[in-house]
Amino acid sequence: MKFKPGAKSELTFVGSLFALGVLVFWDTWRTELPEINLTISPKLFPYIVSFMLMLLSSILFIQILRGDLATPEGLEPGDKIEKSDLRTFILVLASLFAYLLLIERGGFVIANSVTFVGISYSFGNKKLLKASGIAVLLSTIIYFSFTKFLHVALPAGIFKGLM
Amino acid sequence: MNSFNSLLEGFASAFSVSNLLFGLLGTFLGTLVGVLPGIGPALAIALLLPITYTVSPSSALIMFAAIYYGAMYGGSTTSILLNTPGESGSVITALEGNKMARNGRAGAALATAAIGSFVAGTIATFILAFTAPTIADWAIKVGAAEYVALMLVAFSTVSSLLGSSQIRGFISLAVGLVLGLVGADLQSGLSRLTFGNDAALEGIETVTVIVSIFALGEALYIASRFKETGWKIIPMKGRALMSRDDWKRSWKPWIRGTAIGFPLGIIPAGGSEVPTFLSYGVEKSLSKNKAEFGKGAIEGVAGPEAANNANAAGALVPLLALGLPTSATAAVILVAFQTYQIQPGPLLFSTNPALIWTLIASLFIGNTLLLILNLPLVRFWVQLLKIPRTYLFAGIVSFAMLGAYALNTSTFDLSVAIAIGIVGFLFRRYGMPITPLILGLILGPNLELQFRRALQISAGDYGTLIASPLSKALYLTLFLVIVAPNVIKLVKKLKAKSNK
Repeated sequence: MKFKPGAKSELTFVGSLFALGVLVFWDTWRTELPEINLTISPKLFPYIVSFMLMLLSSILFIQILRGDLATPEGLEPGDKIEKSDLRTFILVLASLFAYLLLIERGGFVIANSVTFVGISYSFGNKKLLKASGIAVLLSTIIYFSFTKFLHVALPAGIFKGLM
Repeated sequence: MNSFNSLLEGFASAFSVSNLLFGLLGTFLGTLVGVLPGIGPALAIALLLPITYTVSPSSALIMFAAIYYGAMYGGSTTSILLNTPGESGSVITALEGNKMARNGRAGAALATAAIGSFVAGTIATFILAFTAPTIADWAIKVGAAEYVALMLVAFSTVSSLLGSSQIRGFISLAVGLVLGLVGADLQSGLSRLTFGNDAALEGIETVTVIVSIFALGEALYIASRFKETGWKIIPMKGRALMSRDDWKRSWKPWIRGTAIGFPLGIIPAGGSEVPTFLSYGVEKSLSKNKAEFGKGAIEGVAGPEAANNANAAGALVPLLALGLPTSATAAVILVAFQTYQIQPGPLLFSTNPALIWTLIASLFIGNTLLLILNLPLVRFWVQLLKIPRTYLFAGIVSFAMLGAYALNTSTFDLSVAIAIGIVGFLFRRYGMPITPLILGLILGPNLELQFRRALQISAGDYGTLIASPLSKALYLTLFLVIVAPNVIKLVKKLKAKSNK
């Protein structure tokens, strides 16, 4: 069987939605109910949602097999669907993970600056020194306006005692 | 007490110095974030949420009202000068407005958009002030069973009407419902979909989902698929003023746009896409300058812009009176209320009238401030469009991460944000609308609650769900909304076949 370009990846996506439905079903099925008397079981709603997800994704799966492919946002129906640039995708994702890893270990200013420069680079900015300068300045301003004026505590990280 | 007196009292409390300052700050921030390309009002408000964590509820709500209108105002500036609409409601504005800007009439386009938004916003807020309490009075009598039906109708209209594919809308809704399930069940304490993670017991934060699905999802999507596309700003000549002829051609579309936008905001028609398209169609067919349409007709900016704003005010009616958001932006505002432990809905008008009337009064004030401040300041906002794209996205993403973290100062929320960001990317890539997901996440738990309540009252008799005439009517609507588009499709298919 021959597929239209992009069909395989979309089938994988819809397949994973089906898997999500299965996951919800399995999680609901395996948990034990607490011993209280309820008119409606707390399992009913998850079961309905899981069946809804499995049913709908199966229908969409068949539609895609029959050639009804999605139109990516920003494109018109019939436009050529190009592959996503995996390298850039990973760069953006890595910048996000950097924030997650650094926020409590390194502190807000470091985490925010690293993510800022990372995203800027992913979008094609080659002037890393300038970007770093802007990032550090911006992060410091945000840090002080949040902690001093808005009283939202942000982690100082390695600058603890200094800031 | 009647609406008029309450409104006057609302004005009295909104006119304090500190509240006015918060209103001013809100209009400034709202316009600032709204002008930035790629940020619609829903994301703008969600991004600005952390700033309001520490101010008092009434000041925060005043600020939100101002941000709400400000973001919409800023969005139209971007569509006119950049041709990159930040949200579906400004797509039409971009269509004619950008052409006008190319013809050197950017000033007139910006002015008719701003004044039209003001006129529509003022009229619509006025109607809101008088209809919302009436609807709330009526809604107090609406029982749990009818609420279930009402929410199901809202779900199905939003999923059906948005985007091109009905089934993708419903799948998006289902994914939102799954996200809403995560956490400990309120009645039984049963933990659902937490997989042994303690942080997940509290459930998934709605703000985190909104911020990450819009900001992070968009960044991932644009970076990996539209890296090379740049922007071209159209320089603005002269001032944002309209000639006598422009006024003559604009005022009727403003009124008609309001008349189309407001009612469509009250019913869950899924945001501002439908009313702006309708308004554009009406203006095109009524205009004496039909040939100008597509080349920069001022009516094509005035009508849809007014419809967009009136629609936004209309969406506040079900939100305030029923606690039922009908668009992504209304959903964010609902969350903003909930941050302050305020539950919008029919009871709010009797339990906290001062707050709600201050809010409505500040909508008027915010709208007026916008007009006074922004028309002269338009050059300043235009400068913002010159921020390079690389820095713009870097700023949006890092601020979104900050918002996700600052909510509970928890890294669990950040992991959720990254995961939802990837979902946002996939949804964009595979043409799935995002609003149904947000509605499912917010209203899903509510639907379950009302559903159980209804059946507890009836002692487990499912007949209660369709007992009242209102429920019956709502289920009929539900049936039509789901079936009608498919029937139309089928008829078209058959016709096409018989023509061959």
